[in-house]
Amino acid sequence: MKRTNRSVIPGFGLTTGITLAILSIVVLIPLASLVVFTAHMSLDEIVATITRDRVLSSFRVSFVTAFVASLINAVMGVVLAWVLVKYSFPLKRLIDGMIELPFALPTAVAGIALTTLTADTGLVGGFFAKFGVKIAFTQAGITVALVFIGIPFVVRAVQPVLEKLDPAYEEAAGVLGASRSRIFWKIVFPEIVPAALTGFGLAFGRCLGEYGSVVFIAGNKPFETEIVPLIIMSELQEYDYASATTIALVMLVASFVTLFLVNLIQTRNTRILKGGA
Amino acid sequence: MYKETKSSKAVKWFLIGVSVLFVVLMLLLPLITVITEAFKQGFAVYEKAVTDNYTVKAFWLTLEATALAVVINTVFGLSAAWSLTKFHFRGKKILTTLIDLPVTVSPIIAGLIFLLTFGRQSPIFPLLQDWDVKIVFAVPGIVLATIFVTFPFISRELIPVLEARGNDEEEAAALMGAKGFTIFRKITFPHIKWAFLYGVVLCAARAMGEFGAVSVISGHLRGKTNTLPLHVEILFNEFQYVPAFAVASILVLLAIFILIARSLIEYNGKKKNKVEP
Amino acid sequence: MYVELKNINKHFGNFKASDNVSFGIEKGKLIGLLGPSGSGKTTILRMIAGLETPDNGDIIIDGKVINNVPASKRGIGFVFQSYALFRYMTVFENIAFGLRVLKKSDSEIKDRVAELVKLIGLDGLENRYPSQLSGGQRQRVAFARALAPNPQLLLLDEPFAAIDAKVRQELRHWLKEMIAKLGVTSIFVTHDQDEAIEVADEIIIMNKGRIDQIGKPLDVYSTPKTAFVASFFGQPSIFKDYSKFRRFDAVEGAEQTIVRPEFVKVTKKTEVQKFKNSAEEGVVTDVAFRGSGIELSVLVNGVTLTARRGFDEPSVSVGEKVDVFIYRIFVTAGDNAYLLENKSLREPVVVI
Repeated sequence: MKRTNRSVIPGFGLTTGITLAILSIVVLIPLASLVVFTAHMSLDEIVATITRDRVLSSFRVSFVTAFVASLINAVMGVVLAWVLVKYSFPLKRLIDGMIELPFALPTAVAGIALTTLTADTGLVGGFFAKFGVKIAFTQAGITVALVFIGIPFVVRAVQPVLEKLDPAYEEAAGVLGASRSRIFWKIVFPEIVPAALTGFGLAFGRCLGEYGSVVFIAGNKPFETEIVPLIIMSELQEYDYASATTIALVMLVASFVTLFLVNLIQTRNTRILKGGA
Repeated sequence: MYKETKSSKAVKWFLIGVSVLFVVLMLLLPLITVITEAFKQGFAVYEKAVTDNYTVKAFWLTLEATALAVVINTVFGLSAAWSLTKFHFRGKKILTTLIDLPVTVSPIIAGLIFLLTFGRQSPIFPLLQDWDVKIVFAVPGIVLATIFVTFPFISRELIPVLEARGNDEEEAAALMGAKGFTIFRKITFPHIKWAFLYGVVLCAARAMGEFGAVSVISGHLRGKTNTLPLHVEILFNEFQYVPAFAVASILVLLAIFILIARSLIEYNGKKKNKVEP
Repeated sequence: MYVELKNINKHFGNFKASDNVSFGIEKGKLIGLLGPSGSGKTTILRMIAGLETPDNGDIIIDGKVINNVPASKRGIGFVFQSYALFRYMTVFENIAFGLRVLKKSDSEIKDRVAELVKLIGLDGLENRYPSQLSGGQRQRVAFARALAPNPQLLLLDEPFAAIDAKVRQELRHWLKEMIAKLGVTSIFVTHDQDEAIEVADEIIIMNKGRIDQIGKPLDVYSTPKTAFVASFFGQPSIFKDYSKFRRFDAVEGAEQTIVRPEFVKVTKKTEVQKFKNSAEEGVVTDVAFRGSGIELSVLVNGVTLTARRGFDEPSVSVGEKVDVFIYRIFVTAGDNAYLLENKSLREPVVVI
């Protein structure tokens, strides 16, 4: 790494050195060991590992629940952001603060709380049980946990866009005689979409890898409620490091692809945010 | 805002209603559940669970891992922010991406990579044994995994702030012959103080609540490598619900504390930024 | 020469910011480095300060090549375009910063800062923070801060760019006076021609990384050497072919004709004018009030020219036919500029 231009500000060597050293020890070497470990295995072995029915079904469960949860969050996140930015009502600040709860509350705590709530004996689970709907220990339960985990991502992505949205746009359209719903769908909505997509992507990425809140509520029945992190964990408990590592690698690639797509959307998004000024 | 019509008022209260319902059901109810479950059998049982020897040990380990993660990530965050915002060099973009990588990695995989790097399968394992260093299934492993999952939390709060502000002040100070540390202490730090504290709070929140990564690397040794979230899991899986929720309530308390700290910091930071030109 | 640049080259990627730049500055002079944005003037300033390193060439201050002297040891005061005041320090601490770095004693610092605060006329505001000052006051603080360690050379990057028009005028005079009083060699960068003409002892005009012309403001203004300089000053009307304006000599390879407003005399048909005979007829297409007079656009021989008239002269209106006399024009051919005088000026005239 070479500086292309000398700077008068001191500390380049020291800070870059520390940065690279810590980055290598904490991130690069451990991540590389994952690749090194899988490199020992042949392609056939890898394919055989990840095409096992149980593994494939765990991927399906993971993707489906993460997708559904993120979709719910995309809708609810936009609604929440809209309500928090555009309206004023009692206890608004408190609700705004509560949005951040999933970031602050340990996932395991969220997991056991949601499990207890949605179990047949729980407050919410009991209500639904009357109609024969089970939440805990089903894919619905997993989705609930993932909705909890993912909601702040969408709200926090959409909020700043709505705040920056020039009210003059809406007013101008209003003056021109456009109806409220027309203003929303033609003017506001297109501005929100990229932000909501970013939030969706971030939530989806997080949900794919989520473990703590899901492990309790899922019930971990193979083929039904076993998600990818759970299957990695169970392979590890059986000391099958090869399988665990292979599945982990595929998972990692999936999250990187998600991140990459999110970045693409985000770059566009930032341009819009900055362009307004 | 233009005049509210009857129908828009209905829409407003409908959206607020939906939002409040969502927040109450998804966020508030789990929180309340933790507290009510914890005190279900009275205060004495709660007190016994909270002051239990294993709980106290888990608490101190959680604190230790959190403190270490915050310290290391602070050193890293400040170095990386300085290096990435004050200088131009080749590979800067890649470095930025690499720093953000850990948040996209599933916690389970985060634990797994340290298992592979330092565990029995690792090529350096014999070396570690010769030196009598235990990382996997021991405290250092927990600390490493915690640092990994919180890795970019501080640097990514600092970098945008420093980037937005430019380097003129630092250059001016350097031109007058000020040393690197003086420049940092007197000119840079006062500016990033709130962003830094914000990052520390986020880092601490995630560190104390980390479950998946620590779960993989800890080996679940009660009284030795058990953090609070792991202790909650063990108790819950042993059907000791009340003690599980009692321990969880400690984490809830910490989470609420963190949310309040976060709001205060955000408020102060915003106020400060308004005064500035 | 106190400051000398010899064959300086500097690239940023593929962009050539300095193309073989050489010039010298005498001690005690106030120099304006003038050019449009992207002309490389700020790069030159930053290289002299040591904030950038030239690819090759020498920078000499007081007879010593200082290319490898660290910025902080060059004895230079630098005023940033944004001022770069330390916003978490008071005015006092801002000005004292350079002295503290030099480990001066507290009493020395106190005296020097007090002296400077007085000089910039901000007595009593020592404990304010930059955010509590007006733009002009901030600029003065930045100036005092740069001067505090007694630099031998003062560099100012677009010192008036961030100040509103009214205060700018006042600050220009102030700065010129202040620098004359202190006798410190100074270079300031600007893209504003009026500013350079008003403030500088000497102007260096830059374009596309090269130096186009160096000289006293009046010389540069009245006898531009290059096509760029000729078109940069004033409020020129630029057109291609001047052959329709009969009373000017032909120039071989002429590309552009440049006419500044002060070269044009517009008179009403009823007014008396010395060169009425050789004036051409034009039509007023626009009349605009400017702070200092009236600005006219007149269409003559298919070319629109800008001209000025005073408030005290009889008013003209749009559509009016007027007499237009052009005293002189600049004609450019290649990189060169030629000044052509109206031949009528040399002919004996009969006043009617």
